[in-house]
Amino acid sequence: MKPPAWLRLPTLLVVTGALAAWAVPGSAAVTARPAQHPAMPAAAAAGSTSCDPTASLRPAGPPRVTPGSFMAKIRARGYLIAGVDQNTYHFGYLNPLDGKIEGFDIDMVRAVAKAIFGNPGKVRFKAISDDQRIPAVRSGAVDIVAHTMTINCERLQLVDFSSVYFDAGQRVLVPSNSRATSLADLGGKRVCATTGSTSIANIKAAASHPIPVAVPFWTDCLVLLQQGDVAAVSTDDSILDGLAAQDPWTKIVGPRFTSEPYGLAISQQHPDFVRFVNAALQQLRTDGQWAASYAHWVGTPVPAPPPAHYKA
Amino acid sequence: MTAVGDPPRPAPDTRPAPGTRPTLGQLVRARTTPAKLRLLLAGLVVLCLVWGGLAAWVVSQRASGASDVVGTSEPLSLDGQQIYRALSDADATAASAFLSGGLEPIAARHRYQADIAQAARHLESATAAAGHSPAARDLAVLSAGLPIYTGEVETARANNRLGLPLGAAYLREASALMRGTLLPAARDVSAQADAQLTAASGRATGLPLALILLVAAGLLGYALYRAQRWLFQRTHRRLNPGLVVASVAAVVSLLWLAVAFFVARADLLEARDHGSAPVAALARADIAALRARADESLTLIDAGGDDNFETDFKAVEHRLGPGPGTLLTDAVTAAHGSPGAGPASAAATTATAWYAAHRLVRSLDNNGKHTDAVRLVTTSGPDHSGTLFTRLDGSLTAAIAADQVVFRSHALAGRDVFTGLEVGVIVLALIMAAGCFRGLSTRLAEYR
Repeated sequence: MKPPAWLRLPTLLVVTGALAAWAVPGSAAVTARPAQHPAMPAAAAAGSTSCDPTASLRPAGPPRVTPGSFMAKIRARGYLIAGVDQNTYHFGYLNPLDGKIEGFDIDMVRAVAKAIFGNPGKVRFKAISDDQRIPAVRSGAVDIVAHTMTINCERLQLVDFSSVYFDAGQRVLVPSNSRATSLADLGGKRVCATTGSTSIANIKAAASHPIPVAVPFWTDCLVLLQQGDVAAVSTDDSILDGLAAQDPWTKIVGPRFTSEPYGLAISQQHPDFVRFVNAALQQLRTDGQWAASYAHWVGTPVPAPPPAHYKA
Repeated sequence: MTAVGDPPRPAPDTRPAPGTRPTLGQLVRARTTPAKLRLLLAGLVVLCLVWGGLAAWVVSQRASGASDVVGTSEPLSLDGQQIYRALSDADATAASAFLSGGLEPIAARHRYQADIAQAARHLESATAAAGHSPAARDLAVLSAGLPIYTGEVETARANNRLGLPLGAAYLREASALMRGTLLPAARDVSAQADAQLTAASGRATGLPLALILLVAAGLLGYALYRAQRWLFQRTHRRLNPGLVVASVAAVVSLLWLAVAFFVARADLLEARDHGSAPVAALARADIAALRARADESLTLIDAGGDDNFETDFKAVEHRLGPGPGTLLTDAVTAAHGSPGAGPASAAATTATAWYAAHRLVRSLDNNGKHTDAVRLVTTSGPDHSGTLFTRLDGSLTAAIAADQVVFRSHALAGRDVFTGLEVGVIVLALIMAAGCFRGLSTRLAEYR
């Protein structure tokens, strides 16, 4: 049984705090371990040799709701069910000003709804946390997940992904008076990311051994940063942009040190729906809507959309 | 307390035969009449003074119990309840105000501020009253945590006002502090204060001491009666004025004690049964209702993921009732026959209607109609969840206030019954002792 979310954050703070108090003075304990670590990414890489993560299923022409398809079922139901984030500014967030969920991810979902219904409004959003994304898709609780979700081989074992709709990469957010410029400068310091994200795994695997601090939502990381409980937040630059936009006393530092291609997650039961979504995304790339969304949520200059890449 | 002076010791006139220690009975029987009179005088005076001391001690126990109830335990218990309730209300109000968006309703803002002010006020008086009791540690936790909590709520408001999702994260953090640390401490303070009140009330109404006093009174009365009978047989004088005065004083003090104990006990039991007991039960129900209300709002704020708050709502609903063994049904039972009975029953009925309204909120939210769900929770239309909760909370608060008045007036009356009693029994005991001394020494003089 998982502890409730409102307990998880404080419990975590206490646990990681105690850990930090124990670990920081004994930096010898931290430096004694590096021999084990290079093995971890190697093992992950070994499993992915036969996998081309960004290759998705090729669409058959423009999006079409064929009889008997999963899209036909969704259409009969009357609305698309999308699992989204409501705490990630500019990608998926509940706008306090109008009480609506908005963002770049949300635009992708609306494009899919428009392709099915001819109406981008026929969506029911289910707000989920990072670690619920895969279970929600697999259980059928949602038809699709649009949630700053990195496509990787490990996740492809469990769910299918659309073609890449956004290219992100992990960087570091620190208070504007911090001297750190990368994870290398944050050895032994507390660095925040969400539970179940690729970012938290990358922090754990970093050679400098920062202390990973896991919370349910990205905004929780900014709370901890503002309260001085963590030295940095490290995740995709797309998410960090949204955090920095909420606090002018922060800065994003260092280069991208990972590549995080985002895809829409769909159940492996519905390859027809994956092809359909890829067709809808292809329209988005070509008709200027992708660029419009990018300009609105991420800013200018607008790069070319990530090209679709399909399995042979 | 009375200082019982050295009683005149009966000086033996004759020595017992060497080697044999005579029993007291033999001594008394062997005595001449004057010697017996002297022994009787000393015995009666000692008995009167011991009686006076015992009665005064028992009265002081009861009076201090009663005055503890009114002066210390009840205010502390009330402080504990008010802190717990005000903080629960602040948690629920902050969440529902946040839900209304950047332009939170002014009434909700005022209610939140009043809650914090009330919690701070009662925290201060409880801290002053608690001294070094176990509650002091919990009160320190509350004093340290309350400013942190309010700081986080204000940061949440500021970010919400700017339209930033960071506000919701601060509100979650504030609520986690409230529920994880502050409310448990407030619950402990309240429980400790209630236990203290029960103990003080027990001291003021307990039977064992009164029974000891009754036995002592019986012994005294018997001794006085036997003394007078013996004197009558010896001297053939029908009445001995001194002993008559002593007997009358004994009867007066016994009657006074009996009436005072009886009346005070009735008042204090009434204060408990139709006052503090229903108030405590009603407060427990109200606090549970406030928690469920906060859950309702937090579910809508934190739609992100697990149904933790909704799960908690269902658990609280189960505890709150109405239904056998639930908080509301217990409160209605406890309030039976008190002025709070009416509003308490109304609260039980409203709770059921509120749960139905809550289910409508959940079904709207689960079906993607978040805005409509929020409207039902934050605005006051007929049968809106917000309206029904306000009615439920209002009924419980009214019942608490009504029974608190019953408690206060009866507890005060119970305490006031003991006014002057302690001094009274001491004075009467001295009169009794003086009466015995005078009565018997007059007789004794006749033998000189």
